[in-house]
Amino acid sequence: MNVLILLAAILLVLMVLVGGWQGAKAFISLFLNFGVIFFTVFFMLDASANPIVITFIACIVIGCISLFYINDVNSKTVIAFVSTMITISLLLFFIVIVSEKLMIHGFGEEGEEAIAGLSLYIGVDFMKIGVSVIIMSTIGAIMDVAISIASSMHEVFKHTPTLSKKELFKSGVSIGRDILGTDTNTLFFAFFGGYLALLIWFKDLHYTIGDIMNSKIFSSEMILILCAGLGIALVIPIASWMNAYFLVRVKTVKKEQSEKL
Amino acid sequence: MKRIIKRMKNIKVVQWMIYFTLALSCICSIIFIHNNHSLYDRPIAEVVSTTVEETSDVTDMHGNKDTLFTQSIVAKVKNGEELGREIHLTNDYSTSGAYDQQYHIGNELFVSIDSEIGEELTGSITDVKRDKYVLIVAWFFVFTLLIVGHKQGLLAIVSFSMNVLLLSFALDIYVKYYDVSLLVVCGICILLFTAISLLLVSGFNEKTYAAIVATLIGTVASMSITSLVIWLTSGNGLRYEEMQFLTRPYHTVFMAGLFIGSLGAIMDVAITMSSSLFALYERNHEISIKALRASGIDIGKDVMGTITSILFFAYISGSIPMLILSLKNSSPVGFAYSMNLSLELARALAGGIGIVLTIPIGIYTAIYFIERKRASV
Repeated sequence: MNVLILLAAILLVLMVLVGGWQGAKAFISLFLNFGVIFFTVFFMLDASANPIVITFIACIVIGCISLFYINDVNSKTVIAFVSTMITISLLLFFIVIVSEKLMIHGFGEEGEEAIAGLSLYIGVDFMKIGVSVIIMSTIGAIMDVAISIASSMHEVFKHTPTLSKKELFKSGVSIGRDILGTDTNTLFFAFFGGYLALLIWFKDLHYTIGDIMNSKIFSSEMILILCAGLGIALVIPIASWMNAYFLVRVKTVKKEQSEKL
Repeated sequence: MKRIIKRMKNIKVVQWMIYFTLALSCICSIIFIHNNHSLYDRPIAEVVSTTVEETSDVTDMHGNKDTLFTQSIVAKVKNGEELGREIHLTNDYSTSGAYDQQYHIGNELFVSIDSEIGEELTGSITDVKRDKYVLIVAWFFVFTLLIVGHKQGLLAIVSFSMNVLLLSFALDIYVKYYDVSLLVVCGICILLFTAISLLLVSGFNEKTYAAIVATLIGTVASMSITSLVIWLTSGNGLRYEEMQFLTRPYHTVFMAGLFIGSLGAIMDVAITMSSSLFALYERNHEISIKALRASGIDIGKDVMGTITSILFFAYISGSIPMLILSLKNSSPVGFAYSMNLSLELARALAGGIGIVLTIPIGIYTAIYFIERKRASV
């Protein structure tokens, strides 16, 4: 019996027990997202294709699965989708600049054993792949914030439709702030857990702070964590503004229509 | 203009002081890190000029095409005995850059000085000086979080730094004393991490206590299930090859990483459940347990999918470069995936199990704390 299959089966059973049909859907979407990553890797193997473009397309597909498949197509999910994509595009620019300066692409010295004997000259641009990794790691969290803000702002608007654009924006940002702490926490711990082995390795080899700060692996993990936090923070004003704009716009359009009648 | 002045007046003295200290420490640290060369034992050199000497196209045995370049670099030593002298370096790099990189004018490199022929120093490149960029990105992060998140942003940064320090301290203890078990160290860490993060996020109140209890129960429950599964299947399907750089028992390290990794997500669920149930109770003190449970399940259903997918993407994405390298080296697809993804998938699935289990656990602990509060009123 395989560990992964057994764990997946337990997860499926628990999700269905707790969440019913919605739980099953969540499990299916995990499965589909895995499929997206599987295919993304295959497209990236083509040396002539640009990995960043492939990642962007993969993000669109992932967004469709996680937002439209789980929650149906409606104004909430469409706004969440658009704000996620805007945030990702902004983040992309930032990450490209940073990783060119930092030269954090490719493998660090801890992977020496793993890559020994493999041909390294494979024609795929590892700098761009590094950028894709950062974007793909944060997309889950960015989408989560975007959809939470969209649905809460729609709720707020439903209860008090007299709010102005500015007030709506403020309420959106304050909802976002509450999620900011917990979501960055989720990601931080996920990365800590993933790099525990690496941290122990650093300690074992008695790396000094200077050595750690400048090593390729540590700085790339640091950049990953920081960019993830940046993404979560950036999506808050973007999603709030888009929702506020849309909700007020719909209200005025409706008003105009009723006045015409 | 008037509005700006009015807003400026509204900002309290304390806030001004915070802004001032932040700006000052930002500027000071950036100046410091740009001039800290003398603190390093290893020689550092700044690239002054580069020329590409040689270009060659290569095709490896799997038919992958790449171009190799040889770069000759003149750099100026910035610290140590050879301060101010020029050093000649050579660098080989490829367009793919899997284990090499091209250097540009202005890059600062760690070098080792090999020999001195006449007036000329020659040496080889050992690494890149990255600290200044890491610092700049860190400040970017701090300012964005503060501007967007205000108090919550500050708390997120504080809890992040406290947790990092705690983890580093705990690992020091573990590395120094061989007889301390990693799982014990991590158990204590998990307790402290949970207390610190949740108390910082939502303060000292029943809501937080309920979330802390739920997090700990949820972590223990998911830990037991995952350990049981690994024991039952005797670890079949988990490939530890990617952790082989460690000279320690990597099963234990993997398990410890797994629980720390899912902790954040479990906390997220626990605090969401307890704060929304407590909000319902605050709104209506007479609310029935049945109604609380029903809305708890509804909220749980909503968060379950998104939080598991946050974990899923955070884990799986990191393996993409290694997957590409293996596949490009003609590894069979199944082999490449099981070799490079098994640990990440196990982490994501175990985290998912923790998340889903914490939903009912969170509901019942919150109800228990609400009942206790009701009884005491």
